[in-house]
Amino acid sequence: MTTTHTTRALIVVTSLSLAFTALVGRLVQLHVLRHDELRLKAAANHGEVRKRQGRRGEIRDCHGNLLANSQSVRIVCADPSITISNAGVAAAKLSPLLNMDAATLRAKLTGPGKYVRLKQKVDEETVQRIRSLKLKGIVYEDQYLRTYPHDSEASHYIGFVDADHKGVQGIEAAMNQYLEGVGGYEIIERDRKGREIRALRTEGIEPRDGYHVVLTLDQVIQHIAEVELGKAITEFRPHAGVIIVSRPKTGEILAMGCWPTFNLNNAGAAPANARRNRCISDVAEPGSTFKIVNISGALNDGTVRLSDTFQCESGAWLYAGRILHDAHPYGILTVEQILYKSSNIGAAKIAVKMGVGRLYEYIHRYGFGRKTGIGLPGEVSGIAHPLANWTKLSITRIPMGHEIAATPIQMLMAMNAICNGGKLMKPLVVKRVVDGNGRVILENQPQPIGQPIAPAASVLMTTALRKVPTPDGTAARAAVDGYDAAGKTGTAQKIEGGQYVRKYYSSFIGYLPANDPEISILVSLDNPSGGVYYGGSVAGPVFRRVAEKVVEYLGIPPQKPLTNSRQVASAR
Amino acid sequence: MKLNRKKEPLRVGTVGRLVLACVCIAIAGVAYVWQKNQIYRLGDDLRKREAAVSAAEKRNTMLAAQLAQLKSPTLLEARCQQYGLGLVAPREQQMVRLPEPGPEWDAKVLAPVAIAVAPKKPATRTVARR
Repeated sequence: MTTTHTTRALIVVTSLSLAFTALVGRLVQLHVLRHDELRLKAAANHGEVRKRQGRRGEIRDCHGNLLANSQSVRIVCADPSITISNAGVAAAKLSPLLNMDAATLRAKLTGPGKYVRLKQKVDEETVQRIRSLKLKGIVYEDQYLRTYPHDSEASHYIGFVDADHKGVQGIEAAMNQYLEGVGGYEIIERDRKGREIRALRTEGIEPRDGYHVVLTLDQVIQHIAEVELGKAITEFRPHAGVIIVSRPKTGEILAMGCWPTFNLNNAGAAPANARRNRCISDVAEPGSTFKIVNISGALNDGTVRLSDTFQCESGAWLYAGRILHDAHPYGILTVEQILYKSSNIGAAKIAVKMGVGRLYEYIHRYGFGRKTGIGLPGEVSGIAHPLANWTKLSITRIPMGHEIAATPIQMLMAMNAICNGGKLMKPLVVKRVVDGNGRVILENQPQPIGQPIAPAASVLMTTALRKVPTPDGTAARAAVDGYDAAGKTGTAQKIEGGQYVRKYYSSFIGYLPANDPEISILVSLDNPSGGVYYGGSVAGPVFRRVAEKVVEYLGIPPQKPLTNSRQVASAR
Repeated sequence: MKLNRKKEPLRVGTVGRLVLACVCIAIAGVAYVWQKNQIYRLGDDLRKREAAVSAAEKRNTMLAAQLAQLKSPTLLEARCQQYGLGLVAPREQQMVRLPEPGPEWDAKVLAPVAIAVAPKKPATRTVARR
């Protein structure tokens, strides 16, 4: 080998050695010195931690009818930096599918930036149709949409969710901890085209869907109640109205309706006034319906008997320097008559006889002045002044439902205690909570929270209250043909600016069959117009219409033969 | 390399073992690649089926809401009126109410049956008394 050859060989070897050294050096730099930094970059290029959200649970009525569920929808987005080149065609094609104006779409597709939302809450079928157009620069994001198939029915009861899918009212808020799912995640890798390589997926934490909540509400009874409330609203044009249907023995709420109402699918558009659940959050002086408290207390204590008589002073009685009036002048009335004719003077005299302490005791026993524990957000306690704040007049005013304020649900629960043998039940709105496989997570049982009166007093009260929906009582128009109903009317004057004004709360609380009650119904209208305002004339007929339909639906057999008019009405 | 190295004949066994080793390595390699390919294909298939299940679930949820809407009393009442179907709840006179079977029902209904199928011994006794 010559010198030239040796030199050339050395040059080649040296060059190769340098090249390999440089290569090794670069490899060391990439794999050792910048390892941590580049590993993260590489992972970010093809790897991703994908968050997975558990679906919010459903709300169902007592028969399993769907009242609320969450649907998976999409947000259609665009990258204007890509769509700008073909914006006119894309806008024309997307316009009918997204139900949007083509000019608006074109403006969005040619706008600045690299991200713009074209439309939210787009269903999967529409997304598939858009995909088939193969437009460049259009992307989709997942979104859950809470839907309520029955729009405004039971809206105050069911409630709604906010933009983050958190319950803000009604059952949605009360049962949020059960309804909302638990999120999870998974670590995935994508190929060059951005598709997931399933084989390289590393399972993180599996998400859990929310539990389903089964209510005590019956969709059909709710519908009946709301339709009849709507008719009453049209007829009497009140400021507001509420209706509640319950099972007296268990405290289950079968229907709860308020007016004004709102569409759950567009709750944000409704004024706060319409979204308020008046059944639990509005307090008012209950009026004569409150007479059930002191008279049942007096009967329970044995202070009076149904046959005992009281002088009702021909409609005007001076007590503690103030005159107490009756709506109609009465002379001597029995306790039973005082109740079904609704004499204020008679009720006041019974209260005077039983004494301040006992009256206060029964107000407390029936749960006035504290929450019923219904479990829906927004419930208020009502107003029951402590004994120390009572005036000399209080003993005569409270029995007729003045100087005290109660919510409709408190009044209904008190009436339930009257008719179910004296047990004060906790209102029950949630029957059970189940998971996706039907496994019971939580089951609520009827819960008695007190025994204000003995069963014997309950029977005596029913004896008297059965005469209220008769021609002798205050609510002849509340009588339910073929059924033995009982109840109590209430007509309370409203207070505005600290003064009683000529505006009224008209109410009726009733139950049937009287001897073994299956349902109880409260109807209350706030300031009915048209010159009619007595509870028996305004709320009584609403009670009757609701009761007739509910007993028919529940298949409760009549206690006496139906008249022909009812048969004809039913046939229609 | 030594040019003067003495050439030795190839042994069949050695060659055979070498070829076998090569074939084994080749098979293992091909099997590995095939298996990997299958895993990826399976993964892809799984991904597509997951997407199909997810789409079916979404559709199911949507249909459940639609069904609930169609079954709502409001809509059914409106349809009844729209089509003039004249559907009303049955009248009380059109109903036959049957009592729930209970102890009284057992006494009334089951007792005669028990007598009817009773053994004939008492009858024999009656004859004997005659």
